[in-house]
Amino acid sequence: MFFSVSRLLVARGLVILAAPLSFSVTAQTYVDLEAERAAAEAAGGSATVRTNAPTPTDPYGAKPAQAYPATSYGVNNAPAASGGIAPASTPATINSRNTAPAGSSSGQNLGALFSQIQRLQQEVMLLNGKVEEQTHELQRLKEQSLQRYTDLDQRLSGGASSAAKPGAGASASNLPLASAPVSGRSGKAAPEQPGETAAYRAAYGLVQGKQFEQAIPAFKQFIQSYPSSQYAANAHYWLGELYLVKQPPDLEASRQSFALLLSQYPDSPKAPDALYKLGKVQFMKGNREKAREYLDLVIVQYDGKNNTVVKLARDFIAENY
Amino acid sequence: MKVLPSVLLSVVLAMVASIAQAQLTIEISQGMDNPTAIAIAPFAWQGNGAPPEDVAAVVDSDLARSGQFVPIARTDMLSRPTAQADVFYRDWRAIEAEYLLIGRVSKANNELRIEYDLFDVLRQTIVDSGAETGPASTARMMSHRVADAVYEKLTGVPGAFATRLLYISVTRVPGGKDYSRLTMSDSDGANPVVLLETSEPLLGPTWSPDAKSIAYVSFETGRPAIYRQELSTGRREQLTNFKGLNSAPAWSPDGKTMAMVLSKDGSPDIYLMDLATKQLKRITRHYAIDTEPTWMPDGNSLLFTSDRGGRPQIYRYDLRNGSTERLTFEGTYNARARVAQDGRNVVMVHQQDGRFHIALLDLVTNRTHVLTTTQLDESPSIAPNGSMVLYATKAGDRGILAGVSVDGGVKFRLPAREGDVREPAWSPYLSR
Repeated sequence: MFFSVSRLLVARGLVILAAPLSFSVTAQTYVDLEAERAAAEAAGGSATVRTNAPTPTDPYGAKPAQAYPATSYGVNNAPAASGGIAPASTPATINSRNTAPAGSSSGQNLGALFSQIQRLQQEVMLLNGKVEEQTHELQRLKEQSLQRYTDLDQRLSGGASSAAKPGAGASASNLPLASAPVSGRSGKAAPEQPGETAAYRAAYGLVQGKQFEQAIPAFKQFIQSYPSSQYAANAHYWLGELYLVKQPPDLEASRQSFALLLSQYPDSPKAPDALYKLGKVQFMKGNREKAREYLDLVIVQYDGKNNTVVKLARDFIAENY
Repeated sequence: MKVLPSVLLSVVLAMVASIAQAQLTIEISQGMDNPTAIAIAPFAWQGNGAPPEDVAAVVDSDLARSGQFVPIARTDMLSRPTAQADVFYRDWRAIEAEYLLIGRVSKANNELRIEYDLFDVLRQTIVDSGAETGPASTARMMSHRVADAVYEKLTGVPGAFATRLLYISVTRVPGGKDYSRLTMSDSDGANPVVLLETSEPLLGPTWSPDAKSIAYVSFETGRPAIYRQELSTGRREQLTNFKGLNSAPAWSPDGKTMAMVLSKDGSPDIYLMDLATKQLKRITRHYAIDTEPTWMPDGNSLLFTSDRGGRPQIYRYDLRNGSTERLTFEGTYNARARVAQDGRNVVMVHQQDGRFHIALLDLVTNRTHVLTTTQLDESPSIAPNGSMVLYATKAGDRGILAGVSVDGGVKFRLPAREGDVREPAWSPYLSR
């Protein structure tokens, strides 16, 4: 609300700048006279400035010089304005500007100059906004690529140590999306098979390379070859995800992957996400009730333990129920 | 979406007609999925005449409003103990209560004493006991403090029921001038007190950090001016009378400085006023609009709204080095920020798909979450415990207040019985 009022005030402030040049009257006097005159026009001839202002919150609504077309700023769309509380621009204001006493030709030149400055200011502001956004975006990209680099670095060194000391490196490695490799039901990771980590990484590389169609058989093959791998839960998780992104999505296959993960690896770090995804898949399948049960279960089971997934579930519920 | 029955405050009936106009009622529109069932037995009364307040009913409605509790109806209670010796857990297990609150109210001279005991029904243990004492006239505020204590015990977060609200209500007068009232009420909308009544617009009410004074913008002189008002004495002081805009007062956390928006030097910019000397210091200097300043809790920086980037966005001005940085990048409209006491959560007006919602910006993750599903939302204000956001919105063509929890899970509305209500300002914690 302040915002739309303020915008009008700017407009008024700019009149203060221009006025003493156009008319040899002091700025203050001019503004007040001008304001009263415009208000009188807007209010249908009443001499009192404020009493007939169109709305209570916007006593400037009837004042002259709506110098900025409100629409170009979008401030006219402010809640206050669209709610009918503070109409930023009314026909009356525009008229009062147009019918304000015309100046001499030098005044008109000044007027042209003035509007040119306004346009330039407007342009500079928009450019400024673009610069801010691009700076922000650059910063974000920088952080992202640094993040990617550290992830990769960690994965490589984590992989090296896990290859050297099977089992021990598992908990130390810190895969970005796949998270820590997962132990099976027994709670103990099976000794690593030759080529196991490489196979997983190759399949995961396909995900990162957005080669989703190829990633599905790769993960399937991985699970077949290394059924008791420490990465098996992660592989199921990725299969569940991949069935969702492939075209067309295979909801049932996705559901099975997530369900399998949950039943076989309930202690996997991927289990909370899988439970949430299961809810989402059910929702996509049109089973609203079933979906809700899973989402509620996410909140019950992981509240206080895994806030990210609980938040996701809450947001999903809030958006869809 | 779970819809709980609307809760009408019994106190509404007790209000005299003129005050009742500003009275807010509370309707809970969405609660948590698994709220905790709590039974609050009527408190015993030892004193002459009728008790000054139904303490249990106040605690009941406070906890219900949080959305995190479902109080059990009195009519369902199998017994109504008021002392620990009378508590039989099976009575409460039978009606599926998880917790039980009992209490006693006594009055000696003019001093009221509320004692309470909180039981865990499942574990069959007493989990908390406490007492509140104070003048009988503050019975309701004392009841809110009991609710605060219970809330904190059971959720781990301090309660914010024993706080107050400021809001502006506008009564439309057909064919005449509208009436604006600045009203202060308890956090549940009860006990409304009209602090100022004028036929000119009132804007931007705000609290001093000690909750003993307020500031606001009044057009009563025909122009906007910022006033400061002491709540206990009603003493008023006009702080500004500059040409153009005088708006959006915001007290610094130490109470010594007030940030405000003035347009005396051209376009609206942020200024700081030393409240002791009345000296002004200009903070921003830009031909764009800089407005709606608000302080970070540490007092080292200010957030404000500016359209220096072509569209209104939130910026932070660091008072230590004078640098300005843009904070919001999601969406084309982000305005009127308010910061939670943790200095992390910022609530603001955010435009999405052409609609105005209240959104939460997490300053650590830089993520923005839309909290509300209502439209045309404005003027968010955050509770001192950071758990709830109160804001103004529209219901039909009427302006009402609504609330939402910071996780978006709990929603309620506080429509006035008549007129439009807007610009809520949630008080800091009240000193006793």
